[in-house]
Amino acid sequence: MEEWRQVFYHAMNMFNVVIVSYFFMANGMYTILMILSLGSVWLHNRRLTYQGLDELRESAVTPPATILVPAWNEQDVIVESVRSILRTDYPALEVIVIDDGSTDESMDRLIAAFRLVKMDLIYRPRLATKAVKGFYMNPRLPNLLVISKENGGKPDALNVGINMCRTPYFCTLDADCILERDALLRLMRPIVRSPENTVASGGIVRILNGCEVKDGKVVSVGLPKTAVERFQVVEYLRSFLFGRTGWDLLGGTLIVSGAFAVFHRETVMEAGGFLHDTVTEDMDLIVQIHRWATHHKRKIKMKFTSDPVCWTECPAQVTMLGRQRRRWQMGLCQTLWKSSEMLFNGKYGTIGMLSFPFHLYVEALGSVVEFLGYFMVPLALLFGMVPVPLFILFVVLSLVYGSFLSVGAVLLEELTYRRYPGFRDLVILLIYAILENIGYRQLVLLYRVQGVVRFITGFRSWEKVTHVGAG
Amino acid sequence: MPVLIEHIYEIVVAIVITVLLGTGALIIMAIARRQRRDRYFRRIDDLRQRYGPVIATMLSQKLEYERGREVLKGISGVDRNYVLEQLCLEKKPTPDQVPILRRLCEDLGLVRVWQQRLSGHLDIASIRDTFASPEGVLHRVGRLHFLLRAKAADNLGIIQHRASWPLLVKALEDSHPDVQAVAVRSLASIQEPASFAPLVERLNAVILKPSTRISLRSIKTALVSFPLKQTAGLAASLAHQHRRIRFLATDIIREIVERQSAWEEDFVLDANVFPQELGEIFLGQLCFDENPDVRARAASVISHLSDARSTPVLLTLLEDAQWFVRLHAVRALAKRKYLSQAPQIAQRMTDPHWMVREAAARTLLVFGRVGSDQLAAHFLATQDRYSQEQIADEMQRAGLIPNLLAQYGGEAPGTEGKVIEQLVQMGKTSYIVSVLQSSSDQKLRRKFLMTFGRYLDPQIRGWVRQVATEETDPNLRTLAQTVIRPAIKQGES
Repeated sequence: MEEWRQVFYHAMNMFNVVIVSYFFMANGMYTILMILSLGSVWLHNRRLTYQGLDELRESAVTPPATILVPAWNEQDVIVESVRSILRTDYPALEVIVIDDGSTDESMDRLIAAFRLVKMDLIYRPRLATKAVKGFYMNPRLPNLLVISKENGGKPDALNVGINMCRTPYFCTLDADCILERDALLRLMRPIVRSPENTVASGGIVRILNGCEVKDGKVVSVGLPKTAVERFQVVEYLRSFLFGRTGWDLLGGTLIVSGAFAVFHRETVMEAGGFLHDTVTEDMDLIVQIHRWATHHKRKIKMKFTSDPVCWTECPAQVTMLGRQRRRWQMGLCQTLWKSSEMLFNGKYGTIGMLSFPFHLYVEALGSVVEFLGYFMVPLALLFGMVPVPLFILFVVLSLVYGSFLSVGAVLLEELTYRRYPGFRDLVILLIYAILENIGYRQLVLLYRVQGVVRFITGFRSWEKVTHVGAG
Repeated sequence: MPVLIEHIYEIVVAIVITVLLGTGALIIMAIARRQRRDRYFRRIDDLRQRYGPVIATMLSQKLEYERGREVLKGISGVDRNYVLEQLCLEKKPTPDQVPILRRLCEDLGLVRVWQQRLSGHLDIASIRDTFASPEGVLHRVGRLHFLLRAKAADNLGIIQHRASWPLLVKALEDSHPDVQAVAVRSLASIQEPASFAPLVERLNAVILKPSTRISLRSIKTALVSFPLKQTAGLAASLAHQHRRIRFLATDIIREIVERQSAWEEDFVLDANVFPQELGEIFLGQLCFDENPDVRARAASVISHLSDARSTPVLLTLLEDAQWFVRLHAVRALAKRKYLSQAPQIAQRMTDPHWMVREAAARTLLVFGRVGSDQLAAHFLATQDRYSQEQIADEMQRAGLIPNLLAQYGGEAPGTEGKVIEQLVQMGKTSYIVSVLQSSSDQKLRRKFLMTFGRYLDPQIRGWVRQVATEETDPNLRTLAQTVIRPAIKQGES
């Protein structure tokens, strides 16, 4: 009995060490990312004053691009989305909408709105996909192509689009997103201006809930009404403004949001296109490109910039939030698992030595450690293994540090883009940045752990997130 | 010294207090920043309201220049230059407004300030602005000074300040790539002929030294914006031993020529607009260059030359071993003056590479009736399935099907009837059926029904069924019903 007690005490002590190490490692890294991005985003914002978008717009040298819009049962938004996309400010733009076997009226509405006719066009499937049912075009609108195909999921739909895409670059865009008019130009800027071979460029995704939308355009920016949505505004600011910017600065970009990103077509094709074995095809593609480039000794660059904006609706209900976060976490685990050879692999540079381990230990497994901590530390307290004052101090520190990082993200937004114009909006954001760590963080943590469990148990299905129609 | 629990307490308490203070500081910074920015924007909005209309009416020449200038001189304060810059350069000026804006910026002393900043000199105004504008102090931090230099270069480019071109050329050697890139852009905007050579030099330097931090595309974009007569400055690059330098020089000339040809109808590159020496290089050297990229890009320029040798050269390129050279040659021939070459272009419809086949079909369609007849003739004559598929694809994309059907429905359909028949046999019936469904031409529908109604194609079958059940014209409906019965039997058997 005494031996078991010893083992238990030993295990508890070990876990306490793990949780404290995790706490300092994760928050230390987040703090470094925050400091780096504070400088980087501020500087980038200053540099925008002489960015020369006009030159990019008017230049014959700006490469043509195609926006790929995968859609599944998006009848309520699809026509307005495509109209808005066709108005995108870009010199040589093509749009391909891929209807992934919708069971609603998406196709009928598109055909009626754009007077499309079915055509029997040539399909050259360099990337294997499910069967294409038909191509729809209006000869008077030659830059729009709608493809109807059998249902095969978002990666499959995107692969069909890539197979039909004729331009050197393509931009993936979710059907329910709203692109700011010059967002594609801004997204292409790092590609055009960089002296290096930039094969992917990602922009910022902002939350549409609470904004006013007119004719497919965000005309007034505001904060959403419910707490769940407001917490997500803070979360997105933190994730995009300092998470992705910081990693970009370190040269460790491992995630580019597939809701809105530009890729070099040939590179994606060489890397095998979007694969079907994960539920987060965007991150998976980035990792795959890194692996392909390293194996083929190609010097490539991926860029994240914080000024091209795409607006998307976030889940307004807790159940939908759960579905989204479980999927994200499961996809993260799937991608990291299948690319485990990159872990601490010097061949991959910053990605292998820093970014990949961080995403594995902090973003993927960290959720489990943190979740267990909520049970084990009180247990240790109960058994008298941790002094009460120290326990309280650590709880306070964890909450305060979380708030510090979230407030930092709000400050970053304030120093740079200031998209939320009212003073009241700022105060609300600051309040929610503080409150985020009490309740919301734990809720999201629960969903993340569920995502890890689903990954371990081999759950494969994609939970559809439905929106209430923000904006 | 052993770590005691008291030490851990002290450390954690210290961290908590630090983080708390840090959070508080961040909150205060955010609120203070917002208030300061609000004040700043209120001031800018106020100035914009007061002086914006003055600048607008000056630029549209509705207000006398001198009067407007005197009003603007009334703006004072520590951030005078910053505010004036904001007001003057708020909107991109139109070409007519540029000379007025340039004069205004000179008279208000802004040009002098920008020139000083670009050349790295500290002037009184800059120092004053430094402390007045929100991030001014940081601008004075040596490593961040490039922000001021780049913005100054940008401003000089916006107002196309010709006298500043030597300064901008000097900025091509700036220590920061941003300043270099903006200087390149501003030189392109000013288009001073003497700045073309330094830009070409810079381009060559970037190619020869890959470690350079400025993008090749940025310099190329700048060079492409210069007028055609400047291309003489690329002669040495066209003959350069480095294959990439030759390629880029060829491509820049191609872009300039393409732009010019888009503006002018019947554009021809003759000795008046294009140096003869360059024409000779294109016809005598570049079309035989060992670098296929050079041969490919040269095709387009050659197609515009008013020289009898251009056609045979293009026909040679049409047979090049590299598919993309053939592609560019086919595209280059897409001009009505090469109408007589339609048979040679049609031969490329059987090219092993689909992009060449596609380009050939598109080129033939540019020739109008002659080209589409050639395309149709090839479509009917060829046994090459890939070629047929490509033509069917282009006919649909170009929206030719309604025309073909209309002609087929006429008195003497001829080739059109055979093309339609061929399309039906290939199963390319979606577009045809769409047209028939929306057509009110009963004669066409009847004719199609009689000729193709019994085909087993599922789309045609569906349309015949639809006519047999929903058609309002009783004769057509009866015809469809008679057509469909044997068809169904045929299908069953």
